Amino acid sequence: MAEEKDNKLLSYLERLKQQAATQQHYGGDITPEKAKMDMRDCPKCGAGRAFEKGLTACAYCGFVFMEVKLTDGINIKKENNS
Amino acid sequence: MSDNPLLEPIHGITLEDYSAACAKMGSGLSEADIAKALGVEVPVWQEANLLWPERMKQDETFHIVTLFGQYFGQADQHPKFSNLKAAVSAEGGANTDRIKSDKSFYEELEVARQVAYEYGLDGAQWIADKYGITLGDFQIAASNWNAQIHQDIAADFEGYNERQAAYKAKYQQLFADAQGGNVADDIEF
Amino acid sequence: MFGFFNKKYDNPALLEEMKTRQERWFAFLDKLEARMLELTTAAIPGLKEIFDQDTDPYKRAHSNMLQGLLGQINHMRQKANDIQEEQIIDFVYQAEATVPAVTSTVGRDYHNRIMNFRMACLNRHYIFDEKLNKCMQRLQQAAGERNLEAAYQEQLRAFESIRDKFSCQQCGGNITIEKMFFIDTYVTCPFCHSQNTFSPSTGARMVLHDARALAEQRTAHLRRAYEESNPRDPEREKVYLRAMIDEWSKIIPDMAEENEKFYERLLREQSFHHFK
Repeated sequence: MAEEKDNKLLSYLERLKQQAATQQHYGGDITPEKAKMDMRDCPKCGAGRAFEKGLTACAYCGFVFMEVKLTDGINIKKENNS
Repeated sequence: MSDNPLLEPIHGITLEDYSAACAKMGSGLSEADIAKALGVEVPVWQEANLLWPERMKQDETFHIVTLFGQYFGQADQHPKFSNLKAAVSAEGGANTDRIKSDKSFYEELEVARQVAYEYGLDGAQWIADKYGITLGDFQIAASNWNAQIHQDIAADFEGYNERQAAYKAKYQQLFADAQGGNVADDIEF
Repeated sequence: MFGFFNKKYDNPALLEEMKTRQERWFAFLDKLEARMLELTTAAIPGLKEIFDQDTDPYKRAHSNMLQGLLGQINHMRQKANDIQEEQIIDFVYQAEATVPAVTSTVGRDYHNRIMNFRMACLNRHYIFDEKLNKCMQRLQQAAGERNLEAAYQEQLRAFESIRDKFSCQQCGGNITIEKMFFIDTYVTCPFCHSQNTFSPSTGARMVLHDARALAEQRTAHLRRAYEESNPRDPEREKVYLRAMIDEWSKIIPDMAEENEKFYERLLREQSFHHFK
């Protein structure tokens, strides 16, 4: 009887652990990603993005990358408006 | 427009935008989708996503966080996101509509979700698997029903508690059966 | 006056019932306690193991397992509460209604006995509850604190090893990342001045997520000093808060300005709380 109860407890724990380890989590697994560098070329004229002319529009053809007015954030500042 | 500097847009992203974006992220939209809908690039979105919660932390009147909750509940009506939905099954879509229109259905599933966690399950995932409702939609429903549920509690505290207890018992039974009973089921008075 | 209130009253059945009921209640709680202790002790190694093996940065598998265990312990609490309500409290009301009024001598005697029964049962339940809270605490602390300092130092080293390994997507020129970033950001090529987008690693992003917790770990001794002061010393709280914010900003210098604003809020709240 005592043994049966012990078995029940242990199998409960085993199942709980299994379930915790194998169940899918909301939002999925987080796959560790390495740091990377990228660039968004102008989709209209194909030019790279120039620093002097800001972040919001293409320095060469005026294509609008972003329709917003940048404010003073963390790394992005007002000066980065085109 | 309010004079409250804590409500000033961050990189052009207003609190309404931000709140709706959070709801939609919870419904499975990616950061890239969100940024695109808001007309910004991902680095700009990520700054806003970091700074809006800072504004909430700085505001001891809880005004910003209250508004956030309201706007979050109105995410489906936000023009920038109205055409943007993560793919869900037809049944999931019907359940999602129902949770926003049928208060009892919402209340029952809210209890089910909590009880699922108490049985070691990922409750949000359980709701998604079983009903096809995303966490974002669930939270939208929560924020929309919140005021009415408070009224219900004020009007009939006991009735509310009875309903909650009945839901709780139902789902405790369901999840306990699935795991072969509770650990102390054999102990009787 | 009429001798009515001193009429002889005897109810041995009730006394016997209280005795056996109390014994059953104690035995029931003994059994629940034994089971919850057994569960806690048996669960801890597995809980630690899953914590150590869980590669998820949020440790969600561990969190689910812990929630499940706490759920079972709470289920025992609920069971004890329900039985107490049905078998002890309700019984006390019924018993009180059957014995003579408390204003009579015999009535007083029986009411005292019922009260003693009630107190003995409730005290036993209080001890049960204390033990239950202990078990929950043991489960919650089983995995130990995450070593956030080690994780942070590892990320600093990782960043040092990659910071000069990037090149401009426009001209191919070498770009050295000036400082550790925790979110996506624009980086300007020193040669052609093009705007590149730098995305930090998952590990670096987690530094931002865990920064406050790490700052709390670093200043835990100051927090303890404050919490152990009696009455709570607002000066010690200020020392702890100031140090915690400083550590936080050291970890994420980009957030220093925001952290200061948060600190201002905490101070405003602090003066409010201590003023009360």
